[in-house]
Amino acid sequence: MSLPKRILKETERLMADSPPGISAAPKDDNLRHFDVTVAGPESSPYEGGVFKLELFLPEEYPMNPPKVRFLTKIYHPNIDKLGRICLDILKDKWSPALQIRTVLLSIQALLGAPNPDDPLANDVAQNWKEDEKGAIAQAKEWTRVYAH
Amino acid sequence: MSPSPSPLPLVAPVGAAKAEPDLFFPASDSEDEHDKEDGDEGEILAVVPSSTVRDVPSSSTVRREMGSSSAVQAQPQLQTSFDSTLVAPSDEPIPFFASQDSDILPVSPVSSKPKPRPRPRPSPSHSSRSSPAPSALEVPSAGPSRKRSSPAPPARSPSVSIPEGFTGGYLGEFVCEGWSLSKGKGYCSPGSKIVFERPKPPKTVEDEARSLARSKEKVGPARLVNGKVVHAKGKPVAGKQMTLGAMGMSKKAPPPPVKKGPVKAQVDQIIRFRNERGFEVGRLSVTEAGFLVHLLDTGIISLQGHVIDCPQVLSTGSTILLNVKVYLARAAFEKVEKDGRGEQRSFWQEQKETGEEEAMRKRKDALGLLFGRIGVKPLRSNALLLAQKKNGRAVINETSLKHFDSNGGKLPSSALARRSASPSKSSSSGKGKEKGSARNSDDEEEDSGDEAEKLNDEQMNELDQIYRKAQQGDTRLDEMDPPDTFLYMLRPYQKQALTWMNAREAGDETVRDQGLHPLWEEYAFKKEHKEGEPIEVEDDDDWIDPSRKFYWNPYSGELSLTFPTSNTKAKGGILADAMGMGKTCMMASLMHLNREGDAPPEMPAAADAEAEDEQLAKRPKFKQVTLSNQWRAIPTAVKTVNKPPSSTLVVCPVSLASQWHEELQKMSDKGSMTSFMWYGNDRTDIEKLLAQEGRKKVDVIITSYGTLASEFQKWRKTKDKPSYEGGSIYDHEFLRIVLDEAHNIKNRTALVSKACYELKGQRRWALTGTPIVNRLDDLYSLLHFLRLEPWGHYSFFRSFVTVPFLNQDSKALNVVQYILESCLLRREKSMRDKDGRLIVDLPPKTVDLQVLDFSRPERQIYKHLEDRAKRRFIQLDAEGRAMSNYTSILAMLMKLRQCVDHPLLVLSKAAEEDEQGDRLLDPDTGDAQGSLKEMIALYAGGLQADSEGHVPHDSSYALQVLKEIGEAEGTSECPICTSEIFDEDCIVDYIGNCEDQNKPANCPMCDKGPYKMSDLRSVQRRRKRINPITGAFTDDDGHPVLASQGETAVTIGKVDLVSSTKLRALVRKLDQMRIEEPEVKALVFSQFTSFLDLIETTLTKEGYRWLRFDGSMSQAQRAATIEQFGKKTREPLILLISLKAGGVGLNLTMANHVFMMDTWWNEAIEQQAIDRVHRLGQNKPVFVTRYIIKGTVEKRIMKIQRSKTALVNASLAGGASKDKAASLADIKKIFGLDEDDSEDEVY
Repeated sequence: MSLPKRILKETERLMADSPPGISAAPKDDNLRHFDVTVAGPESSPYEGGVFKLELFLPEEYPMNPPKVRFLTKIYHPNIDKLGRICLDILKDKWSPALQIRTVLLSIQALLGAPNPDDPLANDVAQNWKEDEKGAIAQAKEWTRVYAH
Repeated sequence: MSPSPSPLPLVAPVGAAKAEPDLFFPASDSEDEHDKEDGDEGEILAVVPSSTVRDVPSSSTVRREMGSSSAVQAQPQLQTSFDSTLVAPSDEPIPFFASQDSDILPVSPVSSKPKPRPRPRPSPSHSSRSSPAPSALEVPSAGPSRKRSSPAPPARSPSVSIPEGFTGGYLGEFVCEGWSLSKGKGYCSPGSKIVFERPKPPKTVEDEARSLARSKEKVGPARLVNGKVVHAKGKPVAGKQMTLGAMGMSKKAPPPPVKKGPVKAQVDQIIRFRNERGFEVGRLSVTEAGFLVHLLDTGIISLQGHVIDCPQVLSTGSTILLNVKVYLARAAFEKVEKDGRGEQRSFWQEQKETGEEEAMRKRKDALGLLFGRIGVKPLRSNALLLAQKKNGRAVINETSLKHFDSNGGKLPSSALARRSASPSKSSSSGKGKEKGSARNSDDEEEDSGDEAEKLNDEQMNELDQIYRKAQQGDTRLDEMDPPDTFLYMLRPYQKQALTWMNAREAGDETVRDQGLHPLWEEYAFKKEHKEGEPIEVEDDDDWIDPSRKFYWNPYSGELSLTFPTSNTKAKGGILADAMGMGKTCMMASLMHLNREGDAPPEMPAAADAEAEDEQLAKRPKFKQVTLSNQWRAIPTAVKTVNKPPSSTLVVCPVSLASQWHEELQKMSDKGSMTSFMWYGNDRTDIEKLLAQEGRKKVDVIITSYGTLASEFQKWRKTKDKPSYEGGSIYDHEFLRIVLDEAHNIKNRTALVSKACYELKGQRRWALTGTPIVNRLDDLYSLLHFLRLEPWGHYSFFRSFVTVPFLNQDSKALNVVQYILESCLLRREKSMRDKDGRLIVDLPPKTVDLQVLDFSRPERQIYKHLEDRAKRRFIQLDAEGRAMSNYTSILAMLMKLRQCVDHPLLVLSKAAEEDEQGDRLLDPDTGDAQGSLKEMIALYAGGLQADSEGHVPHDSSYALQVLKEIGEAEGTSECPICTSEIFDEDCIVDYIGNCEDQNKPANCPMCDKGPYKMSDLRSVQRRRKRINPITGAFTDDDGHPVLASQGETAVTIGKVDLVSSTKLRALVRKLDQMRIEEPEVKALVFSQFTSFLDLIETTLTKEGYRWLRFDGSMSQAQRAATIEQFGKKTREPLILLISLKAGGVGLNLTMANHVFMMDTWWNEAIEQQAIDRVHRLGQNKPVFVTRYIIKGTVEKRIMKIQRSKTALVNASLAGGASKDKAASLADIKKIFGLDEDDSEDEVY
């Protein structure tokens, strides 16, 4: 089945004019399936890292949110071992007016502002709350090791 | 014809013969009486077929050993005239006929009494054959000549016209057996002549038939008779064989013709023979003589004979070996009159064999046997026949081809014996299925097998092949330019068609090859062997006389002396080019080319004025009786005859009449061709119309099938009454009759078909894209209309095409192919010309299948309906009541299909039935999601609220809103679907979606809310639409416009929810087209006029101009609509067409966009609809958009469409009840109840 016009347009724009630090390109065999990279925001423990993600646009998109997860290991209270992301706009706060671009920007922002009060990875969140420095160091270490 | 090398073996192994002795001596009582008869000189007189005994002067008989001599008439073909008595032997040497081993008896030249196959001969070794060839063999033409015209015996009449001087021709001779009916010496001796005789009162056809049949069954065997052979000797004693038969041996002369017929039936087919002195000697074996009876009685043949061998003393039942020479009498070549077409025959009459047909069949069978017996072989026969023969199966008609195998000569004697046992049935393969006499009745029964005649898919494919083959070589037809008065440019293939059509009208056969008529074979008479001449055994061919040919049609039994070409008198043919190739145009060019019919030569120009007067005189006749009386004295008829017809009658479906009219005008130079539409209740007097001269002269009359049928009925009722004054369309002879969409007459029994048959015209044309719709008989009707001989005769067509086809003989299709080659021209768009280019170069066609998704409320409604329908169907099916509730199931389906278009379509009826239905099914259902009525009411709510919607907000408020949002949001794009404006659909979908998930529908942009559907407002300002949420709006061109520019009236109303998914999609597409191509013209097809109504409303609202074409419109309205649609416009124009009314025939090439709003059962219908646009004359690329809603019946309908178009058609589409069972299976699929459905929910 052909892609909705919206997806084509979004893809086009992403390719032509991607937000700083973010790239996204559809796979050849499935235009709803994107390879994404997000650079860690400056002055965050993830700075300098390049994180790989995958993004999938379900059939119902844009009525339903895209599915996104990290492929690169990351130490973050809102991202679990499997790369799943806890982000409201990917869940109940989704609006069809949002786009791939906005989603990815939001994720990038999430890296800059971890929220241990709404954790997905409980151990990480715990650590974050109890020993923020240690947690940040850990995050930096992971970034150095994995995110390249 | 080369005489067959092997004469028939006389002797068959005894074992092979079945004995039914009784038959052999049917007249046992009478035999006693013969005892006393003395044989005379042993001479036997030949019996003249017609029971008249005639003396055949015996010329010297030549005998030769071994070979039977077949004497061919020495005389050149036709000219020899023979007296009835005898012709003096010509001097020419008598060729030797094939002679064989001792087993084989020579065929003796005596007139054709073919004696059936030799029965088992006790003394196989009669090698001697005397072939006394009365030199004067020419068949005594006189006596026997009956009119062969109708083979029916009763029809015989004195010989009529045949080439002068022709009295008959020698066909050949054979040996057969007879039994003595007399006792004693002296009746006959070898070599003595005999005369054959038939009882005077010719039997009735029925009797013969019966006896024939009987003889077939029984005859074979019985041979008591031993070796005693009575020889009848011709006077001439010359032959060596003479020695065998003592010439003088003859016993007492037989008593005068023995009348005693033992059993009637048998009497009926006894052929007796006497010696030359008139004494009865014996009779021919029933077995062998059976087939001669009919021929003798009808005077087709005459016989001469002599005795080859016989016992010295005859006793009752003694075997007498005879040599029989067969002559085709003059009567045989008399034209068989086909029965006049004028007769009204009712339907069943046509199907049954008439007496005439029966006689013809017998004659055909008998001749076939005779030819086989004599061993006559065709010099030439058609490839078609040859192929069939080779095949070993008599495709066409077993009986008719039986003679072929005997030509083969040396069959194992057992096979021969067997065949002789059942001569009538003959299977050419020699395998002989034992159908026996039951056969005839079979033929008739088969008439009823209606369904079986339908072509299955495979056969339809074969048909394609046939078309293709028949088309070979057509690319090489010459091209011909139409006259200047014809304005259009013809394409090359159309010019070819013109060449072909012109040739067909001129009767010029050279355009395509033409040869011997497919069903005829060429034979030659033989030279007769003269007595006393040296006998040389040579090639049989020496015996034939190539200068004297005759022709035989093994199918009809007709004989002819003149070369039967495949040429038929029919002028015209079938133009079967595929849809959209310009058949109308080609026909119009032909009308321009050939404007005058064949006029009687003496028609003086001066007579014109007079003629005119006369025409005038005629005119009043019809309506004004008083006037007409005055004029009646003038023999108008005479005048009419003299006037060459120049007008063409076009018969077409009503909906095409005006198109014909207009196209003719357009194609013709001004004034060069006048057409007149003659139909409807107010049609004028046809006579008057046609009588006009000069400028007012009408060249083309266009009428409809319906009109014609009613005229026909009127005419049929009145024509025979004395008061009938003519003036009907049936009294006028047209130059040319053209049936457009000629498959309208495919049913030959329909009134309209008969109405077409009866029209008088010199040239006849049938235009149709589908000459064979789904059974071969469809073709017959066209052929009959064309008067194409011989195929236009039903019995003929039936026995050569239909019946073999029913018998699963694919060769029937060969015949069809042959027919098609001769009279049909068919090209397809995909064909290429001789240079390899496509003959029709149409612009590309793009089909875009748009799979849409319901909006949420639509889906709810649809689901509800579908669930209910499914439940009901399942229940009915489980109870076995599906069949009986078929109609209501179809109705449910219909509703689903309507719902897919637009939920409102089902509103009224569905709501009522809803309660009823739910109650009926199960009371529990129903209200999980609220009743259908409520849902639809909710759905429709938007519409009803619409008027109020405007009230609360005045335009200043609207402007303010617009301004605010316009300033706030710079974007002009719908954030959801990214189209240029904020899409109503998107927001509606969004809210629906949120509701589905039970979450608040907040604004997707600002997250305020939640909102409900009813909160939405749409802003409209002229065509500029704006969305309340984004504030984007556009101008006419779809470009975003700043809010500040929009000064004019703005309204804000509730969002219109009454549109449907498909409707919105349509409008969206139209909007886009409007931008790209402001003058676009588009067709919108739907099968539901109620949906068209809704589309109308929406289009109006959106500011589109539209026109409407459906079945409720009168012909005039339709014509006006089409004309209107054709006018140049500067804005988009949309034609809404009902699929059923407008799917066929119309030419709408001014449009190049087609929208198919829904799915029809039969894909071909949709194709037809698309072809209204994608056809000749279209010069822009064609875009077709089909809308399908996913997850609905439509998808499954398409699936079925693809799998088997054919099956679905009749019952589902037409409601005909025939194929219910098959349709039920389809319905299951549609409901998704069959196994394979679920996975492939592709859409």
